[in-house]
Amino acid sequence: MTATAISTTALTKRYGTAQALNELNLSVPAGEIFGLLGHNGAGKTTIVNILTTLLEPSTGTAEIGGRDIGTAAHQVRSTIGYLPENVQFYDNLTLVENLLFFAHLSGVQAPRARIREVLKFLDFTGHDSQRMSSFSKGMRQRAGIAQAILHEPSVLFLDEPTSGLDPQGVAKLREIIISLNTQLGMTIFMNTHLLAEVTKTCTSIGILSAGTLIYQDSMAATLESFPAQESLEDIYLHIEASQRS
Amino acid sequence: MTRWSAVMVHELLCTTRERLPQLLLAVFVGMIAASAFIGSSARASVTGVYQEALRQGLTTVSNPFDALSPLYYARNTVIYIVLIGALLAIVVGVNSTLRDRQARTADLILSRDVGPAFYLGSKLAGLALFVLLLLALSALLNIGCISVVTGQVLAGGDSARIAGLYALAWLFMLPFVALGMAAGLHAASSTSALLTPIVIWSVVIFILPLLGTAAHPVSLLNPVSPPPAPQGGFFAATSSLVDPLSLGEQFKHVGALILADPQATGTMAGGILTMAAFAVAGCAAVVMTRRTRMRRLLHD
Repeated sequence: MTATAISTTALTKRYGTAQALNELNLSVPAGEIFGLLGHNGAGKTTIVNILTTLLEPSTGTAEIGGRDIGTAAHQVRSTIGYLPENVQFYDNLTLVENLLFFAHLSGVQAPRARIREVLKFLDFTGHDSQRMSSFSKGMRQRAGIAQAILHEPSVLFLDEPTSGLDPQGVAKLREIIISLNTQLGMTIFMNTHLLAEVTKTCTSIGILSAGTLIYQDSMAATLESFPAQESLEDIYLHIEASQRS
Repeated sequence: MTRWSAVMVHELLCTTRERLPQLLLAVFVGMIAASAFIGSSARASVTGVYQEALRQGLTTVSNPFDALSPLYYARNTVIYIVLIGALLAIVVGVNSTLRDRQARTADLILSRDVGPAFYLGSKLAGLALFVLLLLALSALLNIGCISVVTGQVLAGGDSARIAGLYALAWLFMLPFVALGMAAGLHAASSTSALLTPIVIWSVVIFILPLLGTAAHPVSLLNPVSPPPAPQGGFFAATSSLVDPLSLGEQFKHVGALILADPQATGTMAGGILTMAAFAVAGCAAVVMTRRTRMRRLLHD
């Protein structure tokens, strides 16, 4: 039986009178690349913020690797990696200086050796002494992935990882995400708008609408269940429309 | 390397690579180096006038500058610390917390096992170390320049007094570092983050002393505190209220006592305790910042 990497029970988040998440019950098995889809304001970033312990839920619980994000937040933080949307890094520092800072914060032993190892894995060598101010968006995203996996997390959260990338950047990032999953065995939870990318990258998906999880299944089963729809985009629009009606 | 020292090293690295702190640092160190020579130039001018008056038989008293303590040449540094030093402290403080918001790294930091109090406390310690190193360098530079001006190595006692002045300067600058950090955390934009503490600084340094002492505004640029206001009336009522808040005047008063200025009277305890209280309150306000506040985006 496959272990559960991420689970939420009746997870709710309210900002004043606005309901961002509504009794969300979600379960992501270990080893999956899970894509969470939804329109702007559906609550995708809120759920990532809660699962990465940055935000406290109003009610409900969530677990990462069987550990409660509220009562065992310290342990949870050591098992997760996180790349938020549009992270910029410290422009006056070099790539390695940035990564050393995050490696030390994560308590990584022998950080320089680990950074070399990670950069080699990401095929991102030769930029060690380059200041971040000279990095392109794609290079920053790779640096972002590097900082997120320095401490060898078992679950990686990516918030809109392909946002603003050119097609080559998107393809490279896809390759990295898949290799993190297949070679390092990481469970990956990603929010994204690019449905074509989800089809190529994710092994399972969930659809969030107005804070409610309206659909969750494996990618294969999803594509099989909607034979009339040509693409994941069509499936997504169909499910959303069905929910509204 | 522990997490605490990693944040401190990171803080030192970032601060020394930023343009505005670099510029203020150069001006501050330059003025400290120049202060002894400015004092020497002032002494030469007055001595020239004295010699001329003596030659014309207009005076018979001895030159008052003949018995001058070498510490006289350090007096101007008090004003440079109040003006440029405090601004430098504000700028490094603002940049420290604004940097995380501009780089959007707060989430990367807080999703690790690092709490806001620990992180901000270690940043504060890094900046306190930065200011300490800067002032130690300035003290050595000041002692060296005074030795050059007087033509002899400064005596141990006088060197200790200058070291004491810079130790006091560290205590004086710390609340401004904290003020800058708090502004960087709470302001909605980069501009207001920098402007707000500068406005507060100008009130503390220039406005409050005027309310409590009836001092002439220009006299606030004098290294020695103005005399107390006449008893009774408006200033007597306000001075008890605003004097403790006039950090610049407190620093100038204690600084003058440390430099054995003959015009300075009173004790150091009150001024030192006031500065320490401000430093503790400022640091506490910074480390008590909530997680949600650290994560707030800028509206630039």
